[in-house]
Amino acid sequence: MAKPIYLAEMEMMVLLAVVRLGEDAYGVPISKELLNLADRDVALGSIYAALDRLERKGFLTSTLGDPTPERGGRAKRYLRVTPAGLRALKTTRTALINLWSGIPQLEGSRA
Amino acid sequence: MSDGKPYPPRLAIWLLNRVCAGGSEALAGDLVERFREGQTRVWFWRQVLIVLAIGALGKMRRYWPYLSYAAAGSAIPALLWRTVEGVPAALHWWALPWPLSQIAFEGSRSALLALAAVPVLAVGLRISLAFRWVSLFRTAAINLTLLALGHYLLGYLDTVPWLIRPVPGNPHLMRILAMPPPVVEFLFFSLFLVSAWAGCRSARHTRARAR
Repeated sequence: MAKPIYLAEMEMMVLLAVVRLGEDAYGVPISKELLNLADRDVALGSIYAALDRLERKGFLTSTLGDPTPERGGRAKRYLRVTPAGLRALKTTRTALINLWSGIPQLEGSRA
Repeated sequence: MSDGKPYPPRLAIWLLNRVCAGGSEALAGDLVERFREGQTRVWFWRQVLIVLAIGALGKMRRYWPYLSYAAAGSAIPALLWRTVEGVPAALHWWALPWPLSQIAFEGSRSALLALAAVPVLAVGLRISLAFRWVSLFRTAAINLTLLALGHYLLGYLDTVPWLIRPVPGNPHLMRILAMPPPVVEFLFFSLFLVSAWAGCRSARHTRARAR
Protein backbone atom coordinates (compact mmCIF):
# COMPACT_ATOMS: atom_id res chain seq x y z
CA MET A 1 0.00 0.00 0.00
CA ALA A 2 1.42 3.38 -0.99
CA LYS A 3 2.17 5.75 1.87
CA PRO A 4 -0.42 8.56 1.89
CA ILE A 5 1.06 12.01 1.37
CA TYR A 6 -0.28 14.93 3.36
CA LEU A 7 0.26 18.57 2.54
CA ALA A 8 1.59 21.31 4.80
CA GLU A 9 -0.72 24.27 5.32
CA MET A 10 1.01 26.60 2.86
CA GLU A 11 1.31 23.85 0.24
CA MET A 12 -2.36 23.01 0.62
CA MET A 13 -3.48 26.64 0.25
CA VAL A 14 -1.26 27.27 -2.77
CA LEU A 15 -2.38 24.03 -4.43
CA LEU A 16 -6.05 24.92 -3.82
CA ALA A 17 -5.48 28.37 -5.32
CA VAL A 18 -3.91 26.78 -8.40
CA VAL A 19 -6.91 24.44 -8.79
CA ARG A 20 -9.36 27.35 -8.39
CA LEU A 21 -7.55 29.54 -10.94
CA GLY A 22 -7.34 26.84 -13.62
CA GLU A 23 -5.64 28.07 -16.81
CA ASP A 24 -4.70 31.47 -15.31
CA ALA A 25 -2.69 30.14 -12.38
CA TYR A 26 0.60 32.00 -11.96
CA GLY A 27 2.27 33.90 -9.11
CA VAL A 28 0.28 37.15 -9.02
CA PRO A 29 -3.27 35.66 -9.17
CA ILE A 30 -2.27 33.00 -6.64
CA SER A 31 -1.13 35.67 -4.16
CA LYS A 32 -4.37 37.62 -4.72
CA GLU A 33 -6.46 34.49 -4.26
CA LEU A 34 -4.76 33.79 -0.94
CA LEU A 35 -5.32 37.40 0.16
CA ASN A 36 -8.97 37.58 -0.91
CA LEU A 37 -10.16 34.12 0.14
CA ALA A 38 -7.86 33.14 3.01
CA ASP A 39 -6.96 36.65 4.27
CA ARG A 40 -3.27 35.76 3.98
CA ASP A 41 -0.83 38.36 2.65
CA VAL A 42 1.85 35.88 1.57
CA ALA A 43 5.12 37.11 0.03
CA LEU A 44 5.65 36.04 -3.57
CA GLY A 45 8.98 34.49 -2.57
CA SER A 46 7.18 32.20 -0.12
CA ILE A 47 4.62 31.26 -2.76
CA TYR A 48 7.39 30.37 -5.21
CA ALA A 49 9.18 28.31 -2.55
CA ALA A 50 5.95 26.35 -2.00
CA LEU A 51 5.43 25.99 -5.77
CA ASP A 52 8.97 24.61 -6.18
CA ARG A 53 8.38 22.05 -3.42
CA LEU A 54 5.05 21.00 -4.93
CA GLU A 55 6.61 20.64 -8.37
CA ARG A 56 9.46 18.53 -6.96
CA LYS A 57 6.88 16.26 -5.29
CA GLY A 58 5.08 15.87 -8.61
CA PHE A 59 1.89 17.68 -7.53
CA LEU A 60 2.30 20.49 -10.07
CA THR A 61 3.71 21.07 -13.52
CA SER A 62 4.78 24.46 -14.83
CA THR A 63 5.24 26.05 -18.24
CA LEU A 64 6.66 29.45 -19.16
CA GLY A 65 4.44 31.81 -21.15
CA ASP A 66 5.53 34.53 -23.53
CA PRO A 67 7.39 37.60 -22.19
CA THR A 68 5.14 40.65 -21.79
CA PRO A 69 6.07 44.37 -21.67
CA GLU A 70 4.08 45.10 -18.47
CA ARG A 71 6.30 42.59 -16.68
CA GLY A 72 9.51 44.17 -17.97
CA GLY A 73 9.80 41.59 -20.74
CA ARG A 74 9.59 38.63 -18.38
CA ALA A 75 7.54 35.48 -18.88
CA LYS A 76 4.82 34.14 -16.61
CA ARG A 77 5.20 30.72 -15.00
CA TYR A 78 1.86 28.95 -15.45
CA LEU A 79 1.02 26.15 -13.05
CA ARG A 80 -1.20 23.13 -13.44
CA VAL A 81 -2.19 20.53 -10.86
CA THR A 82 -1.35 16.90 -11.64
CA PRO A 83 -3.57 13.90 -10.75
CA ALA A 84 -1.13 13.18 -7.89
CA GLY A 85 -1.69 16.73 -6.63
CA LEU A 86 -5.48 16.26 -6.66
CA ARG A 87 -5.10 12.98 -4.77
CA ALA A 88 -2.89 14.69 -2.17
CA LEU A 89 -5.55 17.42 -1.72
CA LYS A 90 -8.32 14.84 -1.23
CA THR A 91 -6.20 12.85 1.24
CA THR A 92 -5.41 15.98 3.23
CA ARG A 93 -9.07 17.07 3.23
CA THR A 94 -10.20 13.67 4.52
CA ALA A 95 -7.60 13.78 7.29
CA LEU A 96 -8.60 17.31 8.31
CA ILE A 97 -12.35 16.49 8.28
CA ASN A 98 -11.70 13.45 10.47
CA LEU A 99 -9.70 15.57 12.90
CA TRP A 100 -12.32 18.35 13.04
CA SER A 101 -15.31 16.09 13.53
CA GLY A 102 -16.51 15.01 16.96
CA ILE A 103 -15.11 17.95 18.93
CA PRO A 104 -18.00 19.31 21.07
CA GLN A 105 -16.23 22.59 21.83
CA LEU A 106 -16.11 23.41 18.12
CA GLU A 107 -19.63 22.27 17.19
CA GLY A 108 -21.86 24.94 15.65
CA SER A 109 -19.22 27.69 15.63
CA ARG A 110 -17.76 29.14 12.47
CA ALA A 111 -14.93 31.59 12.13
CA MET B 1 12.74 51.32 -19.55
CA SER B 2 11.08 53.81 -21.87
CA ASP B 3 7.40 52.76 -21.65
CA GLY B 4 6.61 55.55 -19.15
CA LYS B 5 5.60 53.13 -16.41
CA PRO B 6 7.28 53.16 -13.00
CA TYR B 7 10.28 50.91 -12.80
CA PRO B 8 11.22 49.07 -9.60
CA PRO B 9 14.56 49.60 -7.84
CA ARG B 10 17.32 48.45 -10.19
CA LEU B 11 19.53 47.24 -7.36
CA ALA B 12 16.71 45.03 -6.06
CA ILE B 13 16.19 43.54 -9.53
CA TRP B 14 19.93 42.97 -9.90
CA LEU B 15 20.06 41.22 -6.50
CA LEU B 16 17.08 39.07 -7.46
CA ASN B 17 18.72 37.99 -10.70
CA ARG B 18 22.02 37.26 -8.94
CA VAL B 19 20.48 35.12 -6.19
CA CYS B 20 17.88 33.23 -8.23
CA ALA B 21 19.97 32.77 -11.36
CA GLY B 22 18.06 30.56 -13.79
CA GLY B 23 14.77 30.54 -11.88
CA SER B 24 14.09 34.18 -11.17
CA GLU B 25 12.52 35.38 -14.41
CA ALA B 26 8.92 34.52 -13.54
CA LEU B 27 9.28 35.68 -9.93
CA ALA B 28 10.89 38.97 -11.01
CA GLY B 29 8.13 39.41 -13.58
CA ASP B 30 5.44 38.86 -10.93
CA LEU B 31 7.09 41.41 -8.64
CA VAL B 32 7.31 43.97 -11.47
CA GLU B 33 3.66 43.32 -12.37
CA ARG B 34 2.51 43.91 -8.77
CA PHE B 35 4.74 46.99 -8.50
CA ARG B 36 3.17 48.49 -11.62
CA GLU B 37 -0.28 47.78 -10.19
CA GLY B 38 0.53 50.31 -7.46
CA GLN B 39 2.77 48.65 -4.86
CA THR B 40 5.48 50.84 -3.27
CA ARG B 41 9.26 50.61 -3.53
CA VAL B 42 9.34 49.62 0.14
CA TRP B 43 6.99 46.70 -0.67
CA PHE B 44 9.26 45.70 -3.56
CA TRP B 45 12.39 45.75 -1.39
CA ARG B 46 10.62 43.75 1.32
CA GLN B 47 9.64 41.10 -1.23
CA VAL B 48 13.20 40.87 -2.59
CA LEU B 49 14.65 40.61 0.93
CA ILE B 50 12.25 37.75 1.68
CA VAL B 51 13.39 36.00 -1.52
CA LEU B 52 17.04 36.49 -0.47
CA ALA B 53 16.33 35.12 3.02
CA ILE B 54 14.50 32.08 1.62
CA GLY B 55 17.38 31.47 -0.81
CA ALA B 56 19.96 31.73 2.00
CA LEU B 57 18.00 29.34 4.21
CA GLY B 58 17.71 26.87 1.35
CA LYS B 59 21.48 26.96 0.79
CA MET B 60 22.11 26.50 4.53
CA ARG B 61 19.82 23.48 4.56
CA ARG B 62 21.55 22.05 1.52
CA TYR B 63 25.12 22.61 2.68
CA TRP B 64 24.70 22.13 6.42
CA PRO B 65 27.61 19.62 6.66
CA TYR B 66 29.99 22.33 5.39
CA LEU B 67 28.57 24.88 7.83
CA SER B 68 28.89 22.41 10.74
CA TYR B 69 32.49 21.73 9.74
CA ALA B 70 33.24 25.47 9.53
CA ALA B 71 31.59 26.10 12.92
CA ALA B 72 33.55 23.29 14.54
CA GLY B 73 36.77 24.39 12.85
CA SER B 74 36.43 27.99 13.96
CA ALA B 75 35.48 26.96 17.52
CA ILE B 76 38.66 24.92 18.02
CA PRO B 77 41.09 27.88 18.00
CA ALA B 78 38.79 29.81 20.34
CA LEU B 79 38.19 26.99 22.83
CA LEU B 80 41.41 24.95 22.65
CA TRP B 81 44.07 27.53 21.80
CA ARG B 82 46.35 26.46 24.67
CA THR B 83 46.23 22.84 23.42
CA VAL B 84 46.92 23.92 19.83
CA GLU B 85 49.80 26.13 20.97
CA GLY B 86 51.32 23.32 22.96
CA VAL B 87 51.49 20.82 20.09
CA PRO B 88 55.03 21.71 18.85
CA ALA B 89 56.39 21.42 22.39
CA ALA B 90 54.61 18.10 22.87
CA LEU B 91 56.35 16.83 19.73
CA HIS B 92 59.78 17.90 21.16
CA TRP B 93 60.44 19.75 17.95
CA TRP B 94 63.85 20.97 19.17
CA ALA B 95 65.10 17.37 19.46
CA LEU B 96 64.18 16.48 15.89
CA PRO B 97 66.64 16.71 12.99
CA TRP B 98 66.15 19.47 10.44
CA PRO B 99 63.86 19.77 8.42
CA LEU B 100 61.54 17.70 10.66
CA SER B 101 62.08 20.14 13.52
CA GLN B 102 60.98 23.07 11.38
CA ILE B 103 57.97 21.14 10.01
CA ALA B 104 56.94 20.15 13.55
CA PHE B 105 57.36 23.71 14.80
CA GLU B 106 55.74 25.52 11.87
CA GLY B 107 53.20 23.02 10.61
CA SER B 108 51.92 20.96 13.53
CA ARG B 109 49.44 23.59 14.72
CA SER B 110 48.02 24.03 11.23
CA ALA B 111 47.82 20.25 10.81
CA LEU B 112 45.96 19.83 14.09
CA LEU B 113 43.50 22.58 13.18
CA ALA B 114 42.98 21.11 9.71
CA LEU B 115 42.34 17.59 10.99
CA ALA B 116 40.46 18.23 14.24
CA ALA B 117 37.17 19.22 12.60
CA VAL B 118 37.24 16.58 9.85
CA PRO B 119 35.16 14.06 11.90
CA VAL B 120 32.34 16.63 12.02
CA LEU B 121 32.40 16.88 8.22
CA ALA B 122 32.53 13.08 7.90
CA VAL B 123 29.42 12.67 10.09
CA GLY B 124 27.58 15.42 8.19
CA LEU B 125 28.40 13.93 4.80
CA ARG B 126 27.42 10.46 6.04
CA ILE B 127 24.02 11.72 7.26
CA SER B 128 23.38 13.60 4.01
CA LEU B 129 24.40 10.49 1.99
CA ALA B 130 27.30 12.30 0.31
CA PHE B 131 30.20 10.66 2.12
CA ARG B 132 33.40 10.05 0.14
CA TRP B 133 36.86 9.51 1.57
CA VAL B 134 38.39 11.60 -1.21
CA SER B 135 36.24 14.57 -0.16
CA LEU B 136 37.60 14.37 3.39
CA PHE B 137 41.23 14.06 2.28
CA ARG B 138 40.89 16.90 -0.19
CA THR B 139 39.14 19.17 2.31
CA ALA B 140 41.84 18.51 4.93
CA ALA B 141 44.60 19.12 2.35
CA ILE B 142 43.08 22.39 1.14
CA ASN B 143 42.51 23.49 4.71
CA LEU B 144 46.07 22.66 5.72
CA THR B 145 47.42 24.57 2.71
CA LEU B 146 45.33 27.66 3.51
CA LEU B 147 46.21 27.56 7.21
CA ALA B 148 49.91 27.13 6.47
CA LEU B 149 49.73 29.97 3.94
CA GLY B 150 48.06 32.19 6.55
CA HIS B 151 50.69 31.22 9.11
CA TYR B 152 53.51 32.26 6.79
CA LEU B 153 51.76 35.46 5.78
CA LEU B 154 51.49 36.39 9.47
CA GLY B 155 55.27 36.34 9.55
CA TYR B 156 55.32 39.30 7.18
CA LEU B 157 53.07 41.44 9.39
CA ASP B 158 56.14 43.13 10.84
CA THR B 159 56.13 45.22 7.68
CA VAL B 160 52.65 46.60 8.52
CA PRO B 161 53.03 48.05 12.05
CA TRP B 162 49.42 49.19 12.46
CA LEU B 163 48.21 45.59 12.19
CA ILE B 164 50.30 44.24 15.08
CA ARG B 165 50.63 44.78 18.82
CA PRO B 166 52.53 43.08 21.64
CA VAL B 167 50.93 40.22 23.54
CA PRO B 168 50.95 41.09 27.24
CA GLY B 169 52.43 38.44 29.53
CA ASN B 170 53.60 36.08 26.79
CA PRO B 171 57.29 36.36 25.91
CA HIS B 172 57.02 33.77 23.13
CA LEU B 173 54.11 35.34 21.29
CA MET B 174 55.42 38.84 20.75
CA ARG B 175 52.77 40.04 18.34
CA ILE B 176 49.27 39.17 17.18
CA LEU B 177 46.92 40.66 14.64
CA ALA B 178 45.24 43.80 15.94
CA MET B 179 41.84 42.44 15.05
CA PRO B 180 38.87 41.93 17.39
CA PRO B 181 38.14 38.24 18.21
CA PRO B 182 34.88 38.13 16.17
CA VAL B 183 36.83 39.10 13.03
CA VAL B 184 39.39 36.36 13.69
CA GLU B 185 36.54 33.86 14.22
CA PHE B 186 34.93 34.97 10.98
CA LEU B 187 38.22 34.50 9.09
CA PHE B 188 38.63 30.97 10.49
CA PHE B 189 34.97 30.18 9.69
CA SER B 190 35.37 31.42 6.10
CA LEU B 191 38.59 29.46 5.65
CA PHE B 192 37.01 26.20 6.80
CA LEU B 193 33.89 26.83 4.72
CA VAL B 194 35.91 27.47 1.55
CA SER B 195 37.95 24.32 2.21
CA ALA B 196 34.83 22.15 2.55
CA TRP B 197 33.23 23.79 -0.48
CA ALA B 198 36.25 23.16 -2.67
CA GLY B 199 37.09 19.77 -1.14
CA CYS B 200 33.63 18.26 -1.63
CA ARG B 201 33.16 19.76 -5.09
CA SER B 202 33.31 16.62 -7.23
CA ALA B 203 30.97 14.70 -4.87
CA ARG B 204 28.47 17.52 -5.25
CA HIS B 205 28.71 17.40 -9.04
CA THR B 206 28.36 13.61 -9.08
CA ARG B 207 25.16 13.87 -7.09
CA ALA B 208 23.84 16.64 -9.37
CA ARG B 209 24.51 14.49 -12.43
CA ALA B 210 22.81 11.49 -10.83
CA ARG B 211 19.57 13.44 -10.27
